[in-house]
Amino acid sequence: MSDHSDQKSTGGLTRRDLLRAGAAGFLLGSGLLLIPKRYFRMPQEAQTFVTKVAHYQLDIADAITRGIRELGVVPGELKGKRVLLKPNLVETASGAPHINTHPLVLRGTIEAFLRLGASAVMVAEGPGHRRDTLAVYEESGLADVLTEDHIRFYDLNYITGYELPNTGRQSSLRTLTFPALFKEVDWIVSVAKMKTHHIAGATLSMKNLFGVMPGIYYGWPKNVLHHAGIENSILDINATLKPHFAIVDGIVGMEGDGPILGDPKKAGVLVMGRNLPSVDATCCRIMGIDPYKVSYLERADNWLGPVAEESIRQRGEAIAAVRTNFELIDTIPAQKGIRLA
Amino acid sequence: MELLENRALPEGGFPSRSGEPFRSDATAWAILAFSQLDPAHPLLGSARNRLTTAQDPDGRVSMSREHEEAFWPTAVSVLAWHGSDVHEPHCTRGVQFLLKTTGRHPSKNPDGQAGHDPSIPGWPWVDRTHSWIEPTALSVLALRVTGHGQHDRVREGIRMMLDRQLPHGGWNYGNTTVYGQELHAMPESTGAALAGLAGQVQEGTVSRSLDYLQGEVDRMRTPISLGWGLLGLAAWDHLPSNSEALVKRCLANQARYGEYDTSALGLLLLAALEREAGTKSMLFPRVTHQHLSAAHTR
Repeated sequence: MSDHSDQKSTGGLTRRDLLRAGAAGFLLGSGLLLIPKRYFRMPQEAQTFVTKVAHYQLDIADAITRGIRELGVVPGELKGKRVLLKPNLVETASGAPHINTHPLVLRGTIEAFLRLGASAVMVAEGPGHRRDTLAVYEESGLADVLTEDHIRFYDLNYITGYELPNTGRQSSLRTLTFPALFKEVDWIVSVAKMKTHHIAGATLSMKNLFGVMPGIYYGWPKNVLHHAGIENSILDINATLKPHFAIVDGIVGMEGDGPILGDPKKAGVLVMGRNLPSVDATCCRIMGIDPYKVSYLERADNWLGPVAEESIRQRGEAIAAVRTNFELIDTIPAQKGIRLA
Repeated sequence: MELLENRALPEGGFPSRSGEPFRSDATAWAILAFSQLDPAHPLLGSARNRLTTAQDPDGRVSMSREHEEAFWPTAVSVLAWHGSDVHEPHCTRGVQFLLKTTGRHPSKNPDGQAGHDPSIPGWPWVDRTHSWIEPTALSVLALRVTGHGQHDRVREGIRMMLDRQLPHGGWNYGNTTVYGQELHAMPESTGAALAGLAGQVQEGTVSRSLDYLQGEVDRMRTPISLGWGLLGLAAWDHLPSNSEALVKRCLANQARYGEYDTSALGLLLLAALEREAGTKSMLFPRVTHQHLSAAHTR
């Protein structure tokens, strides 16, 4: 795999950065060491693209192609490359298609990457709740789409893995085991769903990567990651895997008691970018959530990517034009008090 | 069965898919399917021998040497060795490992986040994690088949599974409610739990789960759901009359999904063969509900 991240450190400090640094220095001098690590990191920059898509029958491939181009992906980066798309397939329930990434978003993404020169696109997932991945694949409607389009689907839960040192070092896990299939691809794209989450606050492109960890090593649910700390594990997986791109399906997302039992919420957007923390921070702002109050994003800031609004160059729609507050439940601790002012 | 036979490795055992190396889980499930078909099948000896190389001195059978914490194949390996005199020492070591092993079991938290009682011991998929339904069901089956049905660990496992039964019927991986909302049932977990509980509790205790599974079985098109679904219903003598057609449809779906991996195929074929009249079950003795132990009913 190659790293195509566009996040970069900048030596130019803003007035806000200097104020932060000054405050940090004062507090350090005062012996108060409870300052978040992000205040001591060099600011980074990234860009995200937001486009309105009112419903799933519109030309999603065109919207995604435009977004990838606007984000500066040049043909040489994709020509001849093998691209793996990781959707969010969790489980299925009658009348609840908003649990999973919509199949037509996958179809549009596949078409976009092929148009831009990819030699092969595949879809792969390892659901955390269901041992029967094929049942989720079938019942979500994705099997119909991929069969018709002659695109191969891989069940990541049962693929023999390979170990990498855990470069995130947020949890006590010394290594992480990824499916051997990942050695054969050039790009990994998180094609996530825009949802609230009753433990993590929000589940977007970073949390979606729990599904790449094979169940044969991590269990069902991926309980090894729960015991290692959900936020720690999100950061470790992202830091170690270094995914290349993210697309979040917010055409119809989920609000309230996500990621399974929440209600559908029409946000009418697709959000994408090369840098996953920035994509997720932008999604949070669209959902009316303060990304700095989502623990794993706050911790990722200026490490795995920028979270501050002024550090993310917004392409396409402005956040204010598409903001749609997702319902948050105050009795769920992870959702209490995270509303964006 | 021909597809499975073609996957047999020259040195014994089975891979997950053709062209891949040996896998303990795949080998154990393939052994169960072949044993159900023909206890004298020529592939069984070498497969059981190969499986012994995946066993640690403490009795566990892991996914690999690099992942000894992922010991969930131990229960299905015990079932795979059971009945073979040559492999009895391995079977016994596996049983001893199961008897001394459990998951993490914190006290029930009154905050209401999780509806189940996490303090009841069962078995985890992976060391130092919580206990979940399918590994607990498989461990209970393995211990019962090997003559430990009255052991306290089996009683605990049964209690754990009953505690995790969903209010409207069925089981999922092992959560019931979260923040007061009931989670969805899943056919594969429900089938596994019903198989583990058959002959141990009165039918009324699980009737809502049998109703759920009977209502779902015609919709099952994939091997893990259908395999466990049929095994769960067969364990309670509720095998649907169209089970053969369901299995054939599921096998035909390989044209759509690609060839099934060995574990899924072994599970499906085991379920298909389970219905054969007069065959001895690899997983459970035929249910004799009148012989239920009072200690196991509630």
